[in-house]
Parts: sequence; C-alpha cells; structure tokens
Amino acid sequence: MDLSKLGLPALALAVVWAAIKSEQIPVSTVAPGPVHITYWEKWTEFEGDAIKAVVDSYNRKQNKIHVDLLSVSDIEKKTLLAVSGGNPPDVAGLYGPNVAQYADDNAILPLDDFCRDYHIARDNYIPVYYDIGYYNSHVYSLPSAPASTALHYNKKMFREAGLDPEKYPQTIEELDSLADRLVTRNNGHIDKSGFMPAEPGWWNWGWGYIYGGKLWDAKSGTITANAPENVRAFNWVRSYTDKYGASELSTFKSGFGNFSSPQNAFLSGKVAMELQGVWMYNFIDQYAPDLEKPTLNWAAVPFPHPADRPDLANTTFADEDVLVIPRGAKHPKEAFDFIAYVESTEGMELLCLGQRKHSPLAQVSAGFYSKHPNPYVKLFADLPKSPNVISPPKIGIWPEYQAEMTAAFEQVALGKKTAKEALDYVQNRVGMINDDYQAQLKARREAGK
Amino acid sequence: MASAVTTRNFKGGPGRQKNAWLLHLFLLLASVLFLFPLVWLISTSLKKVDQAMQMPPTWIPKPFEWHNYKDAFLYHADKVTGDIPFLDYLRNTVVLAILTVAGAVCSNALVAYAFARLKWKGRDVAFALTVATMMVPFPVTMVPIYALYKNLGWIGTFRPLWVGFWFGGAFNIFLLRQFFRTIPFELSEAAKIDGCTEFEIFRIVILPLAKPALSVVALFTFLGTWNDFLGPLIYLVDPKTFTLGLGLQAFQNQHGGTPWNLMMAATAMVIAPVIILFFFAQKQFIQGIAVTGLKG
Amino acid sequence: MKASRRETLTALLFVSPWAIGFTVFLLYPLLASVYYSFCNYSVLKPPVWVGLANYHNLIRDDVFQTSLKNTLVYAAMALPTGMAIAIGLAMMLNAKVRGQTLYRTIFYVPSLVPGVPLAVLWLWVFNGKQGIINAVLQPWFDGLSRLLLHLFHIHVVLNAPQWLSDAAWAKPALVLMSVWGAGNAMLIYLAGLQDVPQQLYEAADLDGASWFSKTWNVTLPMLSPVILFNGVMGIIGALQVFTIPYIMFPGGSPARSTYFYAMYLYDNAFLYLKMGYACAMGWIMFVITVVLTLIALKLSSRHVHYGGS
Repeated sequence: MDLSKLGLPALALAVVWAAIKSEQIPVSTVAPGPVHITYWEKWTEFEGDAIKAVVDSYNRKQNKIHVDLLSVSDIEKKTLLAVSGGNPPDVAGLYGPNVAQYADDNAILPLDDFCRDYHIARDNYIPVYYDIGYYNSHVYSLPSAPASTALHYNKKMFREAGLDPEKYPQTIEELDSLADRLVTRNNGHIDKSGFMPAEPGWWNWGWGYIYGGKLWDAKSGTITANAPENVRAFNWVRSYTDKYGASELSTFKSGFGNFSSPQNAFLSGKVAMELQGVWMYNFIDQYAPDLEKPTLNWAAVPFPHPADRPDLANTTFADEDVLVIPRGAKHPKEAFDFIAYVESTEGMELLCLGQRKHSPLAQVSAGFYSKHPNPYVKLFADLPKSPNVISPPKIGIWPEYQAEMTAAFEQVALGKKTAKEALDYVQNRVGMINDDYQAQLKARREAGK
Repeated sequence: MASAVTTRNFKGGPGRQKNAWLLHLFLLLASVLFLFPLVWLISTSLKKVDQAMQMPPTWIPKPFEWHNYKDAFLYHADKVTGDIPFLDYLRNTVVLAILTVAGAVCSNALVAYAFARLKWKGRDVAFALTVATMMVPFPVTMVPIYALYKNLGWIGTFRPLWVGFWFGGAFNIFLLRQFFRTIPFELSEAAKIDGCTEFEIFRIVILPLAKPALSVVALFTFLGTWNDFLGPLIYLVDPKTFTLGLGLQAFQNQHGGTPWNLMMAATAMVIAPVIILFFFAQKQFIQGIAVTGLKG
Repeated sequence: MKASRRETLTALLFVSPWAIGFTVFLLYPLLASVYYSFCNYSVLKPPVWVGLANYHNLIRDDVFQTSLKNTLVYAAMALPTGMAIAIGLAMMLNAKVRGQTLYRTIFYVPSLVPGVPLAVLWLWVFNGKQGIINAVLQPWFDGLSRLLLHLFHIHVVLNAPQWLSDAAWAKPALVLMSVWGAGNAMLIYLAGLQDVPQQLYEAADLDGASWFSKTWNVTLPMLSPVILFNGVMGIIGALQVFTIPYIMFPGGSPARSTYFYAMYLYDNAFLYLKMGYACAMGWIMFVITVVLTLIALKLSSRHVHYGGS
C-alpha cells in the first residue's frame, strides 16, 4: 500500500473534499419559501409510514410551514443530547414517561399558552392521555398515538389443549391454572407455554399495579417500591420461576424470534396468553394469518385481576407517544401549529388508523371504529377510561427507577432474590436517589427565584 | 537501513520439529475455533430468514440468497428521495477517516520530529509526560470535553470527531519518535551543511524515510475511526450524520429489530473493508503491532 | 546538552500542535473534571458546587460498587485467559511450522472486527437456542439428561449455558469473545519471541534442557517486558470496556451482571445527566488505573528481565 503513488495533490484534494463534506452534511439544507421545521420520530416501518402520512397531509394543507420528518433511534437520549448541544429539532416524538425528566431538566417548553390559543384542553381527551403530559401544573406534551394493553390469547392453542376457547381467565389464579394446562413439553424441554410474566417483558416494572400497588406516592413524594401489593406481585412472578425452572424458562425464551417477525412468541404459537398492546393486531395481521382465518382465532380481553380483589378488574397500562417542543427549537410557534394539527380529529385519526391504534381524543368521528381493522379496538379505547388505568409515575428519576425495577424483576425471575429482597433493595436505593433529586430540585427552584 | 520496524526472519524458538504433527493439530483446532464465528456470519448472511431461524441450524444456505446483501444495503432506504442510509453512514465514516488520518499523520510527525531529533530544554520531561498521558482513561475526560464542544456549539457536527486528531496523540507521537531516532543523524547533519532548515530536513530527509512508520500511524488511525462507537454515540445526534458503527447499532435498535440474515449481511459489509485493508497492508500491520508492544 | 535559543524556538514550533492538544484535550479536561466532580452539573445548566456530595453518594451507591466489581472480575478473568492464549499461540507459531503466515492471518483477522459488528455477530452466535454454540452443546446436555435418567433414575432437564440471559454465564461469554480477539496480543508476543537470542536456546540444548524447562527458564523471562507492557495496557483497556456490553447487554442485563464501570458512567452522564457524578466516577477510575499499574510494575520489578540495553 504505497500512498505516495497517488501523489500528494490527490491526498490533499481528498482532505479538502472531506473537510467540505464534513461541514455540509450536518447542516440541513433550507429551501426558500415556507418555514421548515424538523420533526424527529422514533417509528419506522408501517408506524413510521402513518406518521409520514400525517406530515404529508399537513404539508399539503397549508403553504406557510413545511415539516421535515426524520426517523431517530434512541430518541429519548438523542433529543436530550441535542438540547444540551443547542441544536434540537422543533418537534420531538418522545415516549410519555420521558416528560417529567425533560421538564425537570428544563429541556422542553411548557405548552400552556399555545394550548389556550388553539383551544386544546383536557376535555378534548380521554383524561389519562392528557394527564401523561401534564406535570407540575403545566402542559409539557400532547399525545400522538396512544396505547393500552389487554390479555391476548390464542384460541387455537386453547382448543389443542382441550380448553374452551371462549372461557378466558377472569382472575390471576385462573390465568395460572390455564397456563399450567397449556404447557407442552418435548424431550423434557418446554415446547409451548401458557403464560410467562417475562414475555414480552415491557411492563416488568408494573406488575405491582395489577395487584393494586403503586410505585410512587405523589402526595408525600415518596417511593413505594416495596409496598405489600408490589411484593405480592413479584412473588407471583417468582412462582413461575419456581414452577418451571429459571434455566428452562430462559432457554425457552431465547428461542423466540424478534418481536416483529413470524417467530414472535405469540404469533408463532409458542406462548398462548400474553399481555400485549393495541398494536398486536398489526403483527397478527402481518405475520400470523392463521390466527385470523378462517375464523378469528385470537381474542383480546381485560387482563385478569387477583381473585380477592374484584375491584381491580379492567386494569390496563396506558401509554402514549408524545409530541414536545425542545428548548432551543428555532420555530416553536410553527412547531405548535403542526402539533395542533396532529391533535385535531382529522390528524389524529389519520395517525391512529395508520398505526391501527385507538384515538386518545374523547370524541371520534362517525366512521372511525367501522374503518378500524382491529376487531377489538373498542376494548382498547374503553379500557383507558377505567378507574384502574395504569401509567408510570411522573417523576424525573423514572429512567433510574425503571432501570432498578427491571433489574429487580430479572433477579426475581432468575431466582436470584426473593420478591421482598429485590424490592426492599429498590426501595432503599431509589429512596436515596429520590431524596437527593428532590433536594436538588428544591435548591434549583430557590436559586431560580 | 536499521529500524525498529523491520520484519524479522522467523527463526525457531525452543520447540523442536519432532512433534510437528501435534503442533499442527493444535493449530488446526485453534484455527477452526477462530474461524467458526466468521463462517457462521457469512453462512447466516446468505440464508433465507426461515432457514436462519431453523432448528437445528444448518451451515450451508439453501438456496444462496445473494440479494440479502442488496437488501441490507438498501435497508430503510427512502423510496421517494432515493436516500440510502447505509450509503450515508459509509460516506460519513469515510469523510471522518480521511480527516482523522490526515490529521494524525501530519501533526504527530511534526511533534515526534521535535522529540526525536531536536534538542531543546525540557524535552525529556515533556516526552515522559506525553507517554504518561496514555494512561488517562477516556471516560475521565469525556464529560469536560463534551462540555467544551457543547460550548463551542459543535455537538451534532463532525468536528468533535476529527479536530482533535490534528493536535497529536501520545501513542502515535511515541511510535514515530521511536522510529525517527533510528534514522542516522549523519543524514540530518549533511542536509544542514547543505543549508537546509529544520523543516526542510523534516520534509526532504526524514519523511520519505519514515513512510513505513507513517503508514502504521495512518492504518491505526483509520481503524480507530472505523471502529469508534462511543465518540459518535455522544457527539452525533442526527441520523444522517451517523457512522457505520452507529448505524449498525440503530438497525438493531429499531422497534422489532432486523431479521438476522440481513443483520449479518450488514455486519459483513462493515467488516469487509477492514479485512481487505489488512490483506493489502499486512506487512505494515504486523510491523506496527510488533513495535507497539516492544520497547515499552 | 545545551540548546540554542533558535533551536528551542524551532522545536517549540514543531511541538506546538501537541502543546495545544495536550492543554485543550487533556490538561484542561482533567482539571475541569476535578471541578465538576464537586458539582451538581447537568450540562443544560451551569455547575453548582456541592462539595463532596458526589463522592459521598458514590460510597453509598450499590450500583457503583456492582459495576466496579463486575469490571474487576471481568478484568481478572479476561486478562490472564487472553494472555495465556496469546502467548500459547505465539509460541506455537514461533516453532518452525509450515503455513505460519496462514495461521497468523487466521488468528489475527478476528481481532480486526470492529466493536459493533463484533457484538452483533456474537449476539447471534451466543443465542441461547438458535445460536451455533448451543446448537452444538444442547444435544450433549440432552444426552446427559437421558443418561442420568437411565442410570440413576434422576429426572432432570439440563440446558446448555444461557450465555446472554443467565447472570452466571454472561461474563464468561464476554471473556470468550475477548479471547477471540487475542490475535493482536499474539502478534506482539510473536515479535517478542523473535527477539529472543538463538544462542540461549542452543546453550540450554547443550545442558539437555527439556522443552518445558526452556520455556520456563528462557522464553518467558526473555518475554517478560512484553508481557508486562501488554498486561498494563490490558488493565487500562479492561477497565474501560464499554461498546460490546453496551450493545449486547442493554442496561447490564441479566440482573446487572454485565453492568460495567464505563457503562454506568455513561448512563450517569448522558442518560441521567448527572455529569458531576460521572466525573467523580471518572476520577476514581483514574486512581484505580494508576494504582493497578503501579502494583503491576512493583510486582514485576523482580521478575521482569530487561535484556540487551
């Protein structure tokens, strides 16, 4: 490899080219005409296409503002870095639980004034979806596509196990006994499972809520990780490990393919019952046509409640994607105009039909449900109105808290710790983090005055 | 020319040839162990997704899905604008590699020259200090450097990832200094008598002779840039500025993930240039690595 | 050595890039990092002095301790293993073996694979069910299960190691991966071996020394400076391990068994925006690095043989 043959001038030219390119690439090219605003979203594939459809529709509707859509992975970290770097997008599509941390760090703008101007109020929404963005007496975000969860089950597997596919579990105890009857083994190894608390594993932090627990006491501002209900829930998680064996469960689990693939545990008929969100229908439709045809072979029903707590029926995890305006955005006013379009019935239904979710708005247009392909969409739209709707605590340390809860769940599910040990540990540790954090917030507020 | 980086003739160590077959057996076994992940990578990259997920796994793709490479290359390509993310990542990485390699070669050669061939007060102390800085772990300085670039408004640009290379680095200075010292001083003296300035001596006498060492610096800097993950992870925010490493991670990060066969094809495409480079520049690699570990 | 003013001036000109680089990218950050480590600093707002609070919190922070322990345990596992394999391979190659260049290439190429693709590749290789390692191992475990059933009527279901999801196997998996990258060190040792004077072996041969005795009394002592240098660089590198576990084990899963020091530092800095805390961690890492290096140098001072010069 003799570089000298290329000649010094060629090398110098390459360096100059690279230097020019390195300055050009990061700069967005701004065309004359309308104001361009950048919008970062996490979604790709068909969910991304739905967002693109909304953006395109908005861009067509008026000619003053043009939204440039960019797909960004790890958006909750990247947006924070971009804000701290002083060059954030005008609109960012974060996750609901990010709002408090961003607000505490002063990384997003309060939207109250804009909301007033555009007549956007809590009454427009199913309350929980508005409240996710409402923090410290300010509106910091507005919902884009919402989600809620329900128990999904595979009727074919019920039939194969000699069970009545219309008799779904009402209580956790029934869920457990059904799960036992649905297990099949091959060569001693689990081949099919009825239910696994760790699959898909997206609400591992939240099982306590199903038992009536909570993780945060807003009134006193304290952590309640080891509340008796939470311990009870993790004991239930542990009972699955004790029943089937930690190594057997993890071997079985590692045979699952990617979530978005025909090898998905639920879609490939490996797990008969799963807690899943409104989005699951899309993947059934895409990858598991045998669950839809010739007859509907799957169903979504409210997640069961503990037998001794009938008051906890109709629990659901309500989550949503949110739109925020990062601090330092160059065109906040134009950004909100776009957000307001997404919050309109037209924009929201375009988005939610595209992503095949329900609408977070209190009112839907006449044809919305009949146009909606998900046969259980009404259930997903109604569950969030239940008094037992669950959403993560709105606290700035939630990323750390969630990481701790996830670690605790893993330790319990792997049989390394008892539920009590794991949650006492979280209580202690996050309690300390919370104390420090609250003290810092207070110091900052006083310094700000 | 005597130098620290000439290849040596491989002479025998303590072993005798009696047990040559045993040695070969060990080496063959080790070769299999070292090669199987790469073979598995290529095998998976050519399979259909069903076959990739099939139990028990098979080694030979059936059929050979060559278009996996095209699919991986075009992954998430924008049909309307014709924008191909993989190509963007590649271009960004190449741009950075050119700037870092050029910077590292120019700056380190200058600095190493001063340490190796010029007499000045405090030189040895400065050199010792330079070598000692190799011990400072990056995470220690990560936050202040990030804050520095933030205050300069450089977050989200490429500058944090290459500007620093134009100001020298302890390891490369050390490597080049060791090499420069092996060049006979009489050459410099002769040039000085001919009326050359120090810079002319550096350019006319030393640089041409130092090509092997300079290409070692160029190679390692290239590899460092190609492989860097943490730097792009904290400084780059906009996906169109991502490097290959970051882009590959983003593929994996997307909701739902990527089918393993395409993932492996993309992985193979990121690794390939490095391996091809190795085959073209094997000598420099081996000399360079040998010299890094010696004379410490 | 006396240098003229002119000469010094010229030298300063040559050295100036590094003088700037050293000041801006090392000295200043080091000092700033000390300052930030006594502050509450989120980058979004100016730092606020909090005294020793960060260090005080670090002492109470279990995750900090876990990450430190993980890192040290990993280093203690990976360093000697990697070293033994690299030296072993180098010694085998150093024997006059046919196909040496080919073997050398085979052993070296894996160490060229960049971190991200490496992590992605091994995620696939280590997959508990479909990964190639367990596809080979599982039938053996099943056979063992059957054997136990037949012979002792013990009914157990044995599973191959869950490399990615079992807290006990995740670190060994990373060690195995690091061994795969031993080619770089191998080349360094190989070069070191070439430097061992042939006469030493010839003398030993005359004494009728065995292969083992020659290795122990000649090869290893002559190689000791190289081993020391590699060892020290290995310590520094192992303490900073980040990219591969960050990609393979998000959040240090399973059960934080792969949550390494640099990962926790990164999360504090860029996820929780506790930059001051991260700086305090950085300084502790620096101190540990220096202490370990000094220990290595001290321990080796008696055993390292510097031949020649």
